[in-house]
Amino acid sequence: MILLNDISQTVLIILSIGLLISTLEYLKKVQIFSPNGLLSWNVMQLKWTKQNEKSFFKPIFKLFSAPGLAALFIIRCLLIIGLLFFPLQSTTGWVLISLLGVSLLTASLVTYYGSDGSDQMSMLIIITLILCNLPAFTTGKLRDIGIWFIGLQACLSYTVAGIAKLVSAEWRSGTAIKDVFSTKTYGSKKASLLLQKYPSANRFLCWNVIVMETIFPLCLILPWQYAIVFLIWGFIFHFFTALIMGLNSFFWAFMATYPAIYFINHQMPWHLF
Amino acid sequence: MMLKLNPIVIYELVVTIFLAFWFLATILCQFKETKISSFIRYKIDYFNLIPLWTFFAPHPGKRDYHLLYRDKINDIDYSDWQEMEITEERTIWSWLWNPEKRDKKILSDVVQSLVSSIPSYREKAGSLNLLMFSMPYIIVLHAVSQYKKQSQNCYRQFMLAESSGYQKETAPSLILLSVFHQI
Repeated sequence: MILLNDISQTVLIILSIGLLISTLEYLKKVQIFSPNGLLSWNVMQLKWTKQNEKSFFKPIFKLFSAPGLAALFIIRCLLIIGLLFFPLQSTTGWVLISLLGVSLLTASLVTYYGSDGSDQMSMLIIITLILCNLPAFTTGKLRDIGIWFIGLQACLSYTVAGIAKLVSAEWRSGTAIKDVFSTKTYGSKKASLLLQKYPSANRFLCWNVIVMETIFPLCLILPWQYAIVFLIWGFIFHFFTALIMGLNSFFWAFMATYPAIYFINHQMPWHLF
Repeated sequence: MMLKLNPIVIYELVVTIFLAFWFLATILCQFKETKISSFIRYKIDYFNLIPLWTFFAPHPGKRDYHLLYRDKINDIDYSDWQEMEITEERTIWSWLWNPEKRDKKILSDVVQSLVSSIPSYREKAGSLNLLMFSMPYIIVLHAVSQYKKQSQNCYRQFMLAESSGYQKETAPSLILLSVFHQI
């Protein structure tokens, strides 16, 4: 029986929702791996030029056809559903998450074009949970270390994104969000027109993102009643990037790290106030 | 106090060191391409496990990419340019279910990789023609070569262009025009 009072389990449940959606999306678009698709293995295999790498990964390469990857994605869906019934700390739960990790690593060899930060965050979380929950070897301390790693990576991601925006003239001048929203790839016509009409809103949004991302790690050390402001901001931020920019998988991958941030915050022995 | 070594303690230590290195490698691979970051990314990180967290910065993606192709009918005639439909509008459910984002991201990654490698092919490799042997170029050529041909013995050319999406004040511009390839 799954209980949500365990932080690792909560992280896994939230992440699983996103992974299930993302895997089903890949299944829908599985033709991109067919011989005439964008990620056809006929072409993608050219990346592996070194003979030793080729022979090492050769058994996996046989999977990289549209039917092979479709089977892999179906198995991945079943593994994710299975994880709803078996706790992470059980042997079955650990086997299921390990197989899920193997399927993610395998697919990453062919999806290095097209994968994004949410895929990397998902893989990072899954591998950490596998390593820190190995039955018979794991300890409460190691599980805590895993949760710390996930929370710190999440904070690092926001800070790096914030600093990279802070050094960008386009972000500082307050035009970046309008420009991104005006693309068909990541934007929206309505949002673009709205921001063109209200330039001050554009400046406010740019600086809001820069400041909040840069100082996001404060949520680890501030008293919880202040720290939660960052998590609420993150929730709204990811919800709107999903809504306006179509970045749905980021929402689940980053929400999955919030229980880890909550955990770290509650482990801090000191407070600013 | 002496640490008593048993398999559980050793495993705990190994995993902790691994995670610490992973975190350190992630920090080292942000912002700027250095020797060590290139080594980690291209020599060690086969599974793309070291993230780059600089989302939409320092240069926000403010252009839409377009991939077009045309066939050579004879020495003087060419077919009209056809565009591969990639940047289609999102649906009302895209916040939850958005499979189309994959095609867009793949093409965007491939084009960005191609665009970023053009200067080095010009300067270091000495000839832009060598770009034709690069992975992103071959992916684009392969993608356009799958569309219906004008004739059995077909020569196809592709063009990569960029536009500013919903903002109409900037004209679309050319990124790369390929030679004609027999497909």
